Amino acid sequence: MTTARCGDFRVSYESDSRIFASPVGRVACALFLLLAALAPLAASSYQIDLMSRIGIAVIGAVGLNILTGFAGQISLGHAGFLAVGAYTGARLTALGLPVVVTIPGAGLAAAAVGMVFGIPSLRLKGLYLAMATLAAHFIIEFVVIRWRSVTGGTDGIVVDTATLFGFEFDSAAKVFYLILVIAVVAVLFARNLFRTRVGRAFVAIRDRDISAEVMGIPLFRYKLLAFGVSSFYAGVAGAHLAHQAGIITPENFPITVAIDYLAMIIIGGLGSVLGSVLGAAFMTLVPDLLRIVATALSGSFPALIGLIVSLREAVFGLLIIFFLVFEPDGMAARWRTIKAYWKLWPFSY
Amino acid sequence: MGLTRRRFVVVGGALVAASGLTPHRAHGQGKAPIKVGGLFDLTGVTSEVGKPFAQGVIDHVKIVNERGGVNGRRIDLTAVDYGYKIPQAVAAYKQFTGQDVVMINGWGTGDTEALVKSVNDDRIPYISASFSGHLTDPKKTPYNFFVGASYSDNLRIFMDYAKAHSPSGRKARIAFVYADNGYGRAPIEAGRRYAKEIGVDLVDEQVVPSSFQDSTSQLLNMKQKDPDWAYINTTTTWVAQILKDAQKLGLRTRFGSNPYGYSEKLPEVAKEASEGVVGMLPNVLYGADVPGMKEILAFHKANPPQLAPDALYVRGWAYVTVWAEALRRAGDDLNGPGVKKALETLRGFDTGGLTPPITYTAEDHRPTTRSFLYIVRNGKVVLEHEGEVPRKPEWLGL
Amino acid sequence: MAFFLNLVVTGVVVGSVYALVAMGFVLIFKASRVVNFAQGEFLMVGAYVCLSFLVWLAFPYPAAVLGTLVFAVLLALLVERVILRPMIGEPILSVVMVTLGLASVLRAAVQSVYGTDIRAFPEFFTGEPFRLGGVAVTPAYAGSFVAVLVLMGLLSLFFKYSKAGVAMRATAFDQQVALSMGISVKRMFALAWAIAAMVSVVGGIFLGNMRGGVDGSLAFIGLKVIPVVILGGLDSLAGAFVGGLLVGVLENLAGGYLDPYVGGGAKEVAPFVLLILILMVRPYGLFGTEEIERV
Repeated sequence: MTTARCGDFRVSYESDSRIFASPVGRVACALFLLLAALAPLAASSYQIDLMSRIGIAVIGAVGLNILTGFAGQISLGHAGFLAVGAYTGARLTALGLPVVVTIPGAGLAAAAVGMVFGIPSLRLKGLYLAMATLAAHFIIEFVVIRWRSVTGGTDGIVVDTATLFGFEFDSAAKVFYLILVIAVVAVLFARNLFRTRVGRAFVAIRDRDISAEVMGIPLFRYKLLAFGVSSFYAGVAGAHLAHQAGIITPENFPITVAIDYLAMIIIGGLGSVLGSVLGAAFMTLVPDLLRIVATALSGSFPALIGLIVSLREAVFGLLIIFFLVFEPDGMAARWRTIKAYWKLWPFSY
Repeated sequence: MGLTRRRFVVVGGALVAASGLTPHRAHGQGKAPIKVGGLFDLTGVTSEVGKPFAQGVIDHVKIVNERGGVNGRRIDLTAVDYGYKIPQAVAAYKQFTGQDVVMINGWGTGDTEALVKSVNDDRIPYISASFSGHLTDPKKTPYNFFVGASYSDNLRIFMDYAKAHSPSGRKARIAFVYADNGYGRAPIEAGRRYAKEIGVDLVDEQVVPSSFQDSTSQLLNMKQKDPDWAYINTTTTWVAQILKDAQKLGLRTRFGSNPYGYSEKLPEVAKEASEGVVGMLPNVLYGADVPGMKEILAFHKANPPQLAPDALYVRGWAYVTVWAEALRRAGDDLNGPGVKKALETLRGFDTGGLTPPITYTAEDHRPTTRSFLYIVRNGKVVLEHEGEVPRKPEWLGL
Repeated sequence: MAFFLNLVVTGVVVGSVYALVAMGFVLIFKASRVVNFAQGEFLMVGAYVCLSFLVWLAFPYPAAVLGTLVFAVLLALLVERVILRPMIGEPILSVVMVTLGLASVLRAAVQSVYGTDIRAFPEFFTGEPFRLGGVAVTPAYAGSFVAVLVLMGLLSLFFKYSKAGVAMRATAFDQQVALSMGISVKRMFALAWAIAAMVSVVGGIFLGNMRGGVDGSLAFIGLKVIPVVILGGLDSLAGAFVGGLLVGVLENLAGGYLDPYVGGGAKEVAPFVLLILILMVRPYGLFGTEEIERV
């Protein structure tokens, strides 16, 4: 028994800019969160690990989507910003600071670095910006490897347990709750950002930056802001990654991680917060699923192990190509289509 | 009592939970298998030496199980490839602890040293293929073990040899070339101090990446310092590359290599550039005339190997010889502390001559301070001499 | 001095291979405005395919190179038709990502067939190294360098005098006009991809020769080429050549002189520092055309 109207009617600005389009969405979200909060009680340590990784990916992907999907600036440096956040978070934690300091601190450090490398975005766009951020990645990586006194170089550092006023996040489940809370805040903030002046300025810049400038949007300030906000998210995700992994090394942040994040927002849907969440979950689950299936199939270890590794990479590449060629708007668009179909079913015309 | 929907969910959930909790029993045998984690590099930058080692471990476990296992229990080895990436090693470690393994057969120095804290907290004996000297002091690393002389002792034996085989009349000039990772750096500090102790000049140190395309610029820099000997501390793939580059540049320096940078396969890869190169191996070559080799050769007669076995295969095999004995001695005390205690009862344990006799005590985890020095002569790796350094207390953990 | 010269010579030789691959990159960009992040993977595939012709099928060297070129053309045409054609008109991010996806697939294909170990590459230029002003030069280095020069010369003749070459230049200049002159723009895109793939696989074969072995790390050349094309200008073939040599020399000098102080890694990062500097000062490179944007 549905009481929804046969279509999407919005008659006021207020209804147009609501976070949840309908009460159904609000209830569904609440239910989902409740489920996620209860999950660690029944999940195995591997499942908690997986959920934590999805949560971290959600934070990072939402951040990248703010920069790339909403403000239209391409970044291949996200893995580097993640690394800045992870190492800052780890070092601050080692000083005995609580998470309320370490996590924003990690975000701010990453935001600062992100904005420095965002400066070229004033002159550069599209392709050139992609290349500048690619260079940023390699420069950050070099610094991380060489600055041994702070980062431990290629050996990495062991991350201390996160604390909050005497409470210790000393189990995987506790870290998961920390990630869950921050991920919810991150998603809500992003959702709200696009109901504000700043968010609308981002979209205007994406759609046509010169026109946006003519309309009175200071390009440089807003582009830098987009880099800052996005890197802040990456830094926060990095700090959680540090706590979740327990040990971080430069190998946690290869260029493929930056590509993974781009793949998440493309497969999920550029410029869609829901898409970032879907894409993050999808791209985290697929490699693990592949590994499980392939390990089960390959009885004769280790002859087939090389195949398993390459299978993961092949599927990853094919997924990106497939989505770009056949569903450029990503999973979020697919989801809207499905919703629209059921809203009008069975009289779709 | 009607079956309401809520009751159905509760009962169903309980059933699912219960089925997951039932321990899985091994088929055919009454006792539960012994769970052991195996962390190997089959696809990473050290895969060339990682694969034969892994095969040696897996084959030997298979033989042990065919003969009825340890104290009537099968060994259930979970083998994971981590591609020489520390993050993946951490993930695999979590998987192992989730499965309640009693010990882990590990691999690289970087990952082993990164996991030291977790291993101590979880009290799981971690027998690494890494011979890092940092893992020998039970006060700092009570749960870490390895089988053979440490990287540092291997380097010391090499330096003694290099000193004796340098032009007379002046101090011997030695250089180190090492990989930019935990494994590459492991013995370097020990080598620096030892150079001062025995009076040789350490003239240069060059760092190479974990994987690289050419080492010309490093070697050109080293050439200016003109060392008599250089010790290469990276794995065979990259050692071969360095040797070929050195030949191209016409260096007069002679080279030595470490336990993972040297095997029967080196002359095949590096061709004539490997002539006269010496290498430290803590175990014998494949096919050596020692009692323990008969079992390996018999196994290969029955199961022809896919990859040509080498010294690394022998090493993997010898590892299982040692830890399977410890599992046997642990008896019913099959848990982390029990296996650790059993390992520490080994005194001069004979691996059938595959390695020098192995000893662990609660105060000293240096298994031995003896090692073998090989040399390439006419394209063949032959034993040059068996070296030994004293078991000095101040070298513990270095 | 010998130290410096040695670094420069090695840099020039490796740089000539960068130049070759960068030319493939520039060709595709000029023709179709596609940035091909899979250029390095084409190079790697070429080296491995040539290796299989030589070792598995025991072809003589010239036949193996020819076979590799044919393979490269077929692969490039397939890629262009199936993957890049649908992307015409899509935003740059999508095009960048689709080539990154392609790179992933190519790497996986090579890895599943050949594994991850280094494989010995049969050498074409054999013989003892000879000395050139105090610098030891191997025949593989000298041979590759000369071959690259010859290849570049042939390519520039092709663009200057052949009908197809002129048509390609016309397409790169203005697609609308080219279309109205009866040039099939689609066919020109395909041709650009084919030539780019060919020069890349040739680069792969030379690199295999110089190193005496091939492995997956060959694909990293694709990333090295990005500073090269930015330095030279994204749409300039001459720029690709000059940029390639400059970057090759620069990274070798950085490795030789800075590595002892920073403890390694300077060689790898130097081209990217250069990249940032150029983007700040002169984003269109030494020889590239400046883009003027109008609303």
